[in-house]
Amino acid sequence: MDPSQGILEIKDIYKDFSGLEVLTGVTFSVKNGERHAVIGPNGAGKTTLFNIISGKYKPSTGAIIFKGRDVSKKQPHVLNQRGMSRSFQITNLFQELTVLENVRAGVRCRQGLRYSFFKRPEHNRVVAEKTEQILELVGLADVMHEPVSALSYGRQRALEIGITLSTEPELILLDEPTAGMTREETAEAIRMIDRVTRGKTLVIIEHDMDVVFSLADRISVLHYGAILASGAPQEIRNDQRVKDAYLGEEE
Amino acid sequence: MKGLNTRVYLWGVLLVVLLIVVPLLFPRYQIALMTEVIIFSLFAVSYNLLLGYAGLLSFGHAMFFGTGAYAVAVILNHFQGIPILLAILAATLVTVVVGFLVGSLLLRHKGAYFALLTLAFNALFFAVATKWYSMTGGDDGLSVWRPDLNIGVTILNMTNVKVFYFFTLIIVGLVILFCWYFTTTAMGKTILLMRENEERMKFLGYNTNISRLILFTFTGALAGCAGAFYALFFQFTSISAISIDMTTTVLLMTFIGGTGSFGGPILGALVFTYLQDFLSDITDRWPIIMGIIFVVMVLYVPGGLSGLIASIRERFGTGNVTGTLETEGDD
Amino acid sequence: MSDIPVFILHGLAYAGLLFLVSSGLTLVFGMMNVLNFAHAAFYMMGAYFSYTVLKLTDNFWLSIIICPILMFAFGILVERFLLRRVHVFGHVHELLLTFGLAYIITELVKWIWGNYPLAVNLGNFLEGQVNILGIIYPVYRIFMMFCAAVIGLIMYLVLYKTRVGIIVRAAVNDNEMVNALGINIPLVFMSVFAAGAALSGFAGVIAGPLLTTYPGMAAEILIDAFVVIVVGGFGSLGGALLASLIIGELQSFGALLIPKLSMALIYMLMAAVLVIKPSGLFGEEQ
Repeated sequence: MDPSQGILEIKDIYKDFSGLEVLTGVTFSVKNGERHAVIGPNGAGKTTLFNIISGKYKPSTGAIIFKGRDVSKKQPHVLNQRGMSRSFQITNLFQELTVLENVRAGVRCRQGLRYSFFKRPEHNRVVAEKTEQILELVGLADVMHEPVSALSYGRQRALEIGITLSTEPELILLDEPTAGMTREETAEAIRMIDRVTRGKTLVIIEHDMDVVFSLADRISVLHYGAILASGAPQEIRNDQRVKDAYLGEEE
Repeated sequence: MKGLNTRVYLWGVLLVVLLIVVPLLFPRYQIALMTEVIIFSLFAVSYNLLLGYAGLLSFGHAMFFGTGAYAVAVILNHFQGIPILLAILAATLVTVVVGFLVGSLLLRHKGAYFALLTLAFNALFFAVATKWYSMTGGDDGLSVWRPDLNIGVTILNMTNVKVFYFFTLIIVGLVILFCWYFTTTAMGKTILLMRENEERMKFLGYNTNISRLILFTFTGALAGCAGAFYALFFQFTSISAISIDMTTTVLLMTFIGGTGSFGGPILGALVFTYLQDFLSDITDRWPIIMGIIFVVMVLYVPGGLSGLIASIRERFGTGNVTGTLETEGDD
Repeated sequence: MSDIPVFILHGLAYAGLLFLVSSGLTLVFGMMNVLNFAHAAFYMMGAYFSYTVLKLTDNFWLSIIICPILMFAFGILVERFLLRRVHVFGHVHELLLTFGLAYIITELVKWIWGNYPLAVNLGNFLEGQVNILGIIYPVYRIFMMFCAAVIGLIMYLVLYKTRVGIIVRAAVNDNEMVNALGINIPLVFMSVFAAGAALSGFAGVIAGPLLTTYPGMAAEILIDAFVVIVVGGFGSLGGALLASLIIGELQSFGALLIPKLSMALIYMLMAAVLVIKPSGLFGEEQ
């Protein structure tokens, strides 16, 4: 892969849903190891963008280049196997399974333990170790045998992130990870996200500006389906267009 | 764990009953009935892997059961002298192929769509079986004879009720045991993910199409195996084995027994078979009673009998829900 | 050869029937995401109630009016007291309930009226044939087509030209949104479900005399109706109409041209649709 190229290149993505234009030409790139925030008002198309990047939707036109290869038409599981993983804005877990089983699902998939009729995940040491590591990392080791439904909202969000990490991704996409969290939970989440994404590339959609400004190396502003501005946090803070369009509305 | 010991104890008792009490103390008719229970247990267990474990409601499982039944009949009739186990194996393999083909058409469909399609396929299979006289004997059906089993030291006469009972108990029992083991394997856990959140699985690297296909083929093969034994048991196979009525039967059994545990369907097969036997002596209208029991359970006892037992045990604090995943079939 | 127009008309008559049955089915599914297996049982109930009304009063017009009303009431009871109860348990349970209900109804019908075909005596009602453009054709079948067309027209007018219709269509498309607008969703569900039952019952009333009134009639039309909505697309009324026409004609000509395979033809059509465009002709992409 060309080192000057980002790990993720979004090239002129246009998406319309039967006439409803959601993305009208989105272009930006994310460098390896960077923490990139995508902000913008509701309805700007941020989650749709994530859905396209992660393979849930195909772009109407445009391309997603991941690690140098065009993945615009690839299925989600392929992208995950290639090193991309995403979280969901609305908690999307395996409800009736335990915390441990939730995390283990991704870990064992990564280890190739998916369809075996003979090998048992419970008896695999590598799987067990990696699962525990992640549980520790997101602070859920003490509740590993609880079902998801027994967890508080904040902890469910932490599990959401934990599952996203379980497949050992190089590129992590987090969709509003702190949505609905209290002040304390958010502060804790920022620390946790910082911890777990060290050395990896992070793209994060967020509404909470504290989170954005504490974590991001670069910010892209999505407005009505297109990138309004893209750059370092200070630049964005001072950008008049951004202020007019977005930051003013938010506060 | 206390709970674990109770369970082991219960299974132990069951084993003793099956291996000793039944063949020695039951009259021939009852032994035959137990054989039927064992066969339907496999059918129901395979159905529950779809319904309770993977959350897939199929209205066409009899298409595999019937395929196995017809396959074994045709094989035995065409290949004189073929060993009985080989015939059963071959019949199961035929069902694997059929399961694979049908499954590949149903990969992307969920919920009601999936249910509907399986129903339509079942109807198709039934229609084909009815019309394809040269292969299936149409309305007349095919007779099946049980070849003797040569196990080296002696030749076992399969037409003997007790001998066939043991044969079924051991072979089908082993298959059911494998199914239980399967639920602890990687694939067995993967199908749980399908029930809980098939969408999220994709984003964790699972190819859900492949998962579906494997599961459908596997459960189809199990049903086909049960169907082969069914044909051998009755020494006859007909369109009833591949009918929607047969699917209804396994659905009722599985649900009444309880979809939330591995043993539920087995309990259901036992209860249903005996209940049907008992009721049909009393009245011609036993299907209505079955139907009412079913609907009442759908409304008020969604966990089936095994769910009921589990909640009674919890209520009286005698046992904990132990070991394997004891969850509701769907939520 | 000169028989072809007759077969076309036969196909149309059956298509009309199919449309009556499948339209309710597809709307209920589109709106509530429940595939009502008992829908065909409602059809059967209509036919059987009609048989009894005829036996008692010898008045077919009376039957045509009363039976659908009875089925409407029955539909209300089913939705309100059974379906709604299992809604919380999830889709699988809803399907199981409708399936169990269909099963019980079929068995009850066998018990009450007997497990054999019934002779439905219409007396002089619309008997005989009429000459259309040189084709001699039974009046009754024309009557069937006429009924289907009229009902279809009424449905269209209600759904597309009235406020109630807009609400229903919106609910079929996105019922959460409609709920958010403050409209009483449970009432809408119940009404559409009951209307579907009435439609189905009506279809049963007029089909009974022609297609034989017997306990297997539910299963017979159920499969065809299911194929119709698969081919036409779930939730799509237009799709149901078009698919009914296709299936109706296929049944008619299939029986003529390749009797052995005529059943399989329908399934093959369904399989083809599944492979090529799984959401059906007019269905939404999943």
